[in-house]
Amino acid sequence: MSEKFHEELDTLKEEFLEYGHFARGMLVDAFEALKTGDEDLARSVLARKGELADRSDAFDERLLKLIALYQPMAQDLRAILCTLRMNASLYRIGRYGKDIALLVPHFAGAGHLGRMLNLPHMAGIVVSMVDDVLRAYGAGDISPIKDLSARDDCVDDLRYSVFREALTYMMEDPQHIERGMDYVMVARYLERCGDHCCAMGEKVHFMLTGERIEIK
Amino acid sequence: MKEHDAIITVNHLNLHYGEHHALKEIEVGFARHKVTALIGPSGCGKSTLLRCLNRMNDLVENVRIEGEVRFEGTDIYAPEVDVVEIRKQIGMVFQRPNPFPKSIYENVAYGPRVHGVRDRSTLDAVVEKSLRDAALWDEVKDRLDAPAFSLSGGQQQRLCIARTLAVEPEVVLMDEPCSALDPIATAKIEALIEELKTRYTVIIVTHNMQQAARASDYTGFMYLGELVEFGDTPQVFEAPREELTERYITGRFG
Repeated sequence: MSEKFHEELDTLKEEFLEYGHFARGMLVDAFEALKTGDEDLARSVLARKGELADRSDAFDERLLKLIALYQPMAQDLRAILCTLRMNASLYRIGRYGKDIALLVPHFAGAGHLGRMLNLPHMAGIVVSMVDDVLRAYGAGDISPIKDLSARDDCVDDLRYSVFREALTYMMEDPQHIERGMDYVMVARYLERCGDHCCAMGEKVHFMLTGERIEIK
Repeated sequence: MKEHDAIITVNHLNLHYGEHHALKEIEVGFARHKVTALIGPSGCGKSTLLRCLNRMNDLVENVRIEGEVRFEGTDIYAPEVDVVEIRKQIGMVFQRPNPFPKSIYENVAYGPRVHGVRDRSTLDAVVEKSLRDAALWDEVKDRLDAPAFSLSGGQQQRLCIARTLAVEPEVVLMDEPCSALDPIATAKIEALIEELKTRYTVIIVTHNMQQAARASDYTGFMYLGELVEFGDTPQVFEAPREELTERYITGRFG
């Protein structure tokens, strides 16, 4: 029975990793669509919303089933806990992708305000955090997530910079307010994604070492 | 572990069955008024260790025991120690319910009688208290004269616990007390263990790791006669320190 359990858990983890890349893809594509004003790409992100939710629910169900049927212990139980929690976080990250995609029409014709440097920088860091959490989870190695906290600090600072930048544009011209507010919202979404990465990093760390840490 | 308030401490305990070295250098303390579980694969020595704690291994031929088992500071293997007294203070419940072929009442009254209690009203009080402590009183109070074998397996096991409690032990040793019982009877025994620890120290050997995780405060993992790991139950099951423990409790053994 335990061999069957471990096979199922290994398969699930592989598929879950793939799901992580699916959720990451929604965030990355949404941000790209925002940057370039690509409405087709934004629509494709919105179209993935249903699949994101269905796959997340299916993982929850499978994970609960593994607990109910096998009463796993130690590293196996930690892997299940970690996957359950990551499932919730990755779902949220995918959803933030959807939220960003919804703003794309505001930029499709009108273009961006100023040079908008901070936001892509911020998105780049957040995506690197998602990537490294997934890498650590997949490879069973905590080294990629060692500096998550420092990166999250950077993301928090950038959120403030984006706010200041957007504020400047909005003060210049009331026409800028809608897009300026969008920047503030996107920065807020990205900052939340960074927090989810930290939460996932904590769970991955616990899964791999058995030690609870706080990443802030 | 030794710095806790231990009621039983085991020092350098070695046990041989003939040529077979069944317990190797066991060092452990059992905390007062706590539940300690011993887990490990068949033949790892967990029942042997349990039986050392009230000298049940004395009855086995060809056994050689070295080291110390101290109960409240006294070495229970010292020559002047009265084995009957030790077994009164450190009672035992076995895997299969083994009531005497007597009435429910007589099963519980047997121990106190052996220890000299004759007065009927005292015996009545002991029987009621023990059956209450074993969470069986309400089910049997109207048929105390019925044969013990008329009870269900789970009830018989609780009767055996009541019989153990009747002589007012300090420690209750349980050797796989639920493995012959159905899940409902098992849940009752586990709830009872939780109750018992307010007044007794409970040490339980179990094959069922979930049971150990549910019912105990401390867990020891044994393998090939050695105590591989001993710690707080949540730690042992959530993040064991030893690779061997990890492999055993996650079913990656062999």
